[in-house]
Amino acid sequence: MAVSTYDSSQRRLPLAELRHLWEYRSLLRLLVARELTLRYKRSVLGVWWTLLNPLFTIGVFWLVFSQIFSRDGGGAPFIVYLTAGVLHAGFFSQGVTAAGEGIVAGRGILAKVHVPPDVFSFAAAIAAAVNFGISLIPLILILLIQGVGVPWTFLLVPISIVAMLMFVAGLGLLVASVAVRFYDVLDLVRVLTMLVMYLSATFYPISIIPERWQWVIEINPVYHHLVIFRAFSYGGPFSWVSLGVTLGSGVVALAVGVWVFSRNWRDVVVRL
Amino acid sequence: MSTAIDLTGVRLAYRIDKQRVGTFKEFAIHLFKGQVDHELLWAVDGIDLSLDRGEVLGVIGPNGAGKTTLVKLIARILPPTEGRVVVRGNLAAMIALGAGFHPESSARENVMLYGALLGRSRTTMLERLPEIIAWAGLDDFIDVPLRAFSSGMVARLGFAVATDADADILLVDEVLAVGDREFLTKSERRIDRMIRSGSSVVVVSHSLPTIRQMCDRVLWMDHGRARMIGPTEDVVAAYEDSVDSAG
Repeated sequence: MAVSTYDSSQRRLPLAELRHLWEYRSLLRLLVARELTLRYKRSVLGVWWTLLNPLFTIGVFWLVFSQIFSRDGGGAPFIVYLTAGVLHAGFFSQGVTAAGEGIVAGRGILAKVHVPPDVFSFAAAIAAAVNFGISLIPLILILLIQGVGVPWTFLLVPISIVAMLMFVAGLGLLVASVAVRFYDVLDLVRVLTMLVMYLSATFYPISIIPERWQWVIEINPVYHHLVIFRAFSYGGPFSWVSLGVTLGSGVVALAVGVWVFSRNWRDVVVRL
Repeated sequence: MSTAIDLTGVRLAYRIDKQRVGTFKEFAIHLFKGQVDHELLWAVDGIDLSLDRGEVLGVIGPNGAGKTTLVKLIARILPPTEGRVVVRGNLAAMIALGAGFHPESSARENVMLYGALLGRSRTTMLERLPEIIAWAGLDDFIDVPLRAFSSGMVARLGFAVATDADADILLVDEVLAVGDREFLTKSERRIDRMIRSGSSVVVVSHSLPTIRQMCDRVLWMDHGRARMIGPTEDVVAAYEDSVDSAG
């Protein structure tokens, strides 16, 4: 057996951090399962709550926006456009906040056992991705009911999910780096994720934004993630720029998040 | 042959905020008033130490001397504020046994979780589960939620998991104090076997007989520093003298 050596003076590169995480995959798996079950254990509806929660949100938005504003779904039925947007926004906000809280939730364990500290944030982000995966079922149903059908590109949706997972985990680790010191930053993040949702053409077509303001939407990576998800899941308009931003922002966010976090998590064990 | 553990000029400071600034809002207010202030508590204040393979080191000293912090530095739970910690080999840390145990989950689930926390794979743990439970003597309690366990039973379970894998280095922090006599004998036998197979051990204890019986060398810590380090008998005797004269 190879002798593992720990040297506190060696700074690990982000890639090494991720490999370390891989060694702890059985822990990651248990934490994801716990995150998924604990959330719904105490509710009567159980896991179905995963589905009902976004469906209610979609219903509310549908009532408000299809009746009062535009019904334009950019070629697809508005309900399809809206569902994809709301589910995707849920992945983003749930993932970032839960991953941000991860380090605080894992504080008790981190003070007593050596585990990769980012495992808690990754578990939360993965749980959000799994939730999103489950919520694709109602999306498929809506696609079928609306007669849009499920295009072959639906098979590419996992690419979109993985890119988003990397993006969410990276941002979550950045949030966690601050949450180590200031717990209330999480309240701020909840508001910010809502702002991001409003700025990513979730429930309105980008065409309703005056042209000179459209850049506000276009500098938002979440918007591009959503464009790609819509393109893959029901054949919404595709753009190479959006695909590039989606993959690029995923990799960059993850690398930056892991790096910043590796320099800041120590606070959680040495602050009394 | 290289050493198992090397500590060079290791210091660790805990940060204690004078005002409990837990939120960003409070931080902003304190910053505005110019009161953001914290104190550093040097729990370990300059320790140099190296431990050979197969060597058993005892750590003694009064409460608050930094013994547990030292062990946590070696277990890589705490990163050193200054200095360098090098550990060569697989490590089994018996600190706060059963950290991460969940009272509502069964013994089985907790063993799986604890194994995962120690970085062991799911397949290994599934394979080892029966033996771990049997060693802990808890066969009848495997599906009982942990809240029904006594603290001694929890310690047995934690010890059984922690020592289940072969380790080159074993850290034992006051964990032998909670169990009954049978558990004590059994766990000491297990530690003995690991020592004989060449593992290095760091044992923290207030029980001087245990220290005398087990250790080759003893570190006496006081206020985060090494008050004395050397052959077991010399250091333990000096420690006893100092405690007696103080009393």
